[in-house]
Amino acid sequence: MRHVYRSFAGLAMMLVAPLLLAGAIGAAFGSGNNFSISLVKTVVVNQDGGAAGQAIASALTSQQLASLLSVTQPATPEAARAAVDAGDAEVAVIIPAGLTQSLTAQNAAPLNVEIYKDPSVSVGPAIVGAVVQDLVQSLNGARAAASAAAQLAAMHGITDPGRLTALATQTAQAYTAQAQNSRTVTIDSRSPVTPGGSAPVRPNTAGQVLIGMMLFFTLFGAATPARSIIEEQRMGTLPRLFTTPTPRSVILGGKYIAVFLVVLLQSIILLAAGRLIFASHWGAIGPVIVLTLMGALVASSLGLLTVSFAKTPAQAGGGSAGIFVFLGLISGSFTGSTDIGGAYSVVRHFSPLGWLLDGWNHTMFGGSWSGIWLPVLAAFGFALVFFAVATFFFRRRYA
Amino acid sequence: MDAIVVDKLRKQFDPPKGPVAVDGVSFSIHEGEIFSLLGPNGAGKTTTISILSCLLKPDGGEADVGGFSVAKKPDEVKKLIGMVPQDIALYEDLSGRENLMFWGRMYGLTGSALSKRVDEVLELVGLTDRQKDRVDKYSGGMKRRVNIGAALLHKPKMLYLDEPTVGIDPQSRRSILDGVKDLNAAGMTVLYTTHYMEEAQELSDRIGIMDKGKMIAVGTQPELVRMVGEKTRIDIGLDRNAHQLAEEWRKLPGVSSVTEEEAGPLSLMVADANTLMLQLFDSARATGARVTKIDLAEPNLEMVFLHLTGRALRD
Repeated sequence: MRHVYRSFAGLAMMLVAPLLLAGAIGAAFGSGNNFSISLVKTVVVNQDGGAAGQAIASALTSQQLASLLSVTQPATPEAARAAVDAGDAEVAVIIPAGLTQSLTAQNAAPLNVEIYKDPSVSVGPAIVGAVVQDLVQSLNGARAAASAAAQLAAMHGITDPGRLTALATQTAQAYTAQAQNSRTVTIDSRSPVTPGGSAPVRPNTAGQVLIGMMLFFTLFGAATPARSIIEEQRMGTLPRLFTTPTPRSVILGGKYIAVFLVVLLQSIILLAAGRLIFASHWGAIGPVIVLTLMGALVASSLGLLTVSFAKTPAQAGGGSAGIFVFLGLISGSFTGSTDIGGAYSVVRHFSPLGWLLDGWNHTMFGGSWSGIWLPVLAAFGFALVFFAVATFFFRRRYA
Repeated sequence: MDAIVVDKLRKQFDPPKGPVAVDGVSFSIHEGEIFSLLGPNGAGKTTTISILSCLLKPDGGEADVGGFSVAKKPDEVKKLIGMVPQDIALYEDLSGRENLMFWGRMYGLTGSALSKRVDEVLELVGLTDRQKDRVDKYSGGMKRRVNIGAALLHKPKMLYLDEPTVGIDPQSRRSILDGVKDLNAAGMTVLYTTHYMEEAQELSDRIGIMDKGKMIAVGTQPELVRMVGEKTRIDIGLDRNAHQLAEEWRKLPGVSSVTEEEAGPLSLMVADANTLMLQLFDSARATGARVTKIDLAEPNLEMVFLHLTGRALRD
């Protein structure tokens, strides 16, 4: 173990590389629950002197949207469009003159609220468009209510245009107030919550990538101390150990435990670093502990296996690197917990890392014990097979 | 009483086509003696000592150490022996003391008993003042001494040393040889392998000469020398016609063998050097050759090996 901690290259491979890769990929693709975008530069021109135009302009400049939109209000539609053309704004909202009047007048021609947007960007204009759409629908609803009220009043004998207009305006205002304060149909959006538990936190991208990287790099973390067996063979200390009364099983078992502890420590450090650096959420503590232990078991058994048939440290290093990369590639270690599907979802289960990723994926998304027992059992099976084969080769070599 | 009994021991690597490293070797080592296995590189000495230290399993034959079979009771055998391997087998990034503490634990020592014994061994190998230095800072001789010390921690009844003086300076070599004598004087049985004839002669109560996996002679030094038959070796260097003269001298009465070495002197085993010497000079002069060097050697182990194998020990 001492050799591992004294090797800068070894430590970099075990700890720094997975964190750097996870950080880089997380930064490139966003980070899930920490999702954020820059403010959408918006220009609003209100040519309507009435309440409707004011309602739209006020909504866009409200405090609720201040975290999404950065709004300026030039004097003319031309200035607003010019700002978009120059790239100073992503989207312009031009409220036409007479909008309020058109809502209350009988048989008024429809008016358009213009959204003038930069074609090279999509997210910002879509947000603004959705907000304006919602407001326009609300205004149309108010207009329909006002029209209906005016028609009902006429049917009841009210013919004075002034009274009809006042009645329509009051109805539209009442509709708007009702719509905002007393909604009879609402949408209740929920995520599943484990009974008695708190709401699950969606893992961020960096966290998902880090799990894949951790599982992959623990293989290398295990290979370094495992290679010390061959190194000791070369140095002559291993044969000398075999001439002492200490049983060979204890000597080789001690080596295995050392490898296991190195990998376990590596995993714990990476999980803690992921929590601190990327604010990653790993899931319930029980499954996390079991999956961490199982990952260390798989890595240490595979580490032993790769050195059991090698004769020199260089041979073990070259051979094991190839095996690890192959297992990492087919398991999906480089794509985090993303479910690619198709044949890949079958192939990845030929690697213990694929099963472990399944388990981690399940627990990171708030899953319970019932979803990880199969991945854990499968990974344990791989670990047992690796250990048995390694023991067979070691027995043959040191018999 | 015999401390070690070896009977028809056999070991072949990578059977069935691999080399037979030990081929039917038999010998015994008496309790309290120094027994040397002497032979050139590849003779089978290290393989024999590896079997006796339970590192290798024999393919055939028997070997008992302290009354325990190395094949059937290796754990009992390991408690009795201390093995000093041919190459330095230490952790170079640990200090001398840390190494001894580690190896002591491997021999089952713990606590204050271990610490006390490490102090004693450090004193024994003369490294008390350098005990905290890392082994990779030691000279070759110091490493050899720690290498031996690690085998003495559990006070073994038998000490195996596999060519412990290879590649070290004369002073360290002298120190090791004296140390081995002291340990033997204290009652320890010693099995010592070497290809240096002088070491075997100086140390051993009895010597086993090995060549090509076989034990070709066993006995005390006088017993082995008697096998040569009281002969003297004459090494004669010639500036020319060496081969012609070798053929001629083989036919002389009183000459039992003539060995030719490439670019080296001719070695003659003769019964009476005084009577032959003049004859040798005359025949050399007759062929036009000039004698450039002449050495006379009384019978020794080198001659025994030459007599038994037809080759010099250093070949």
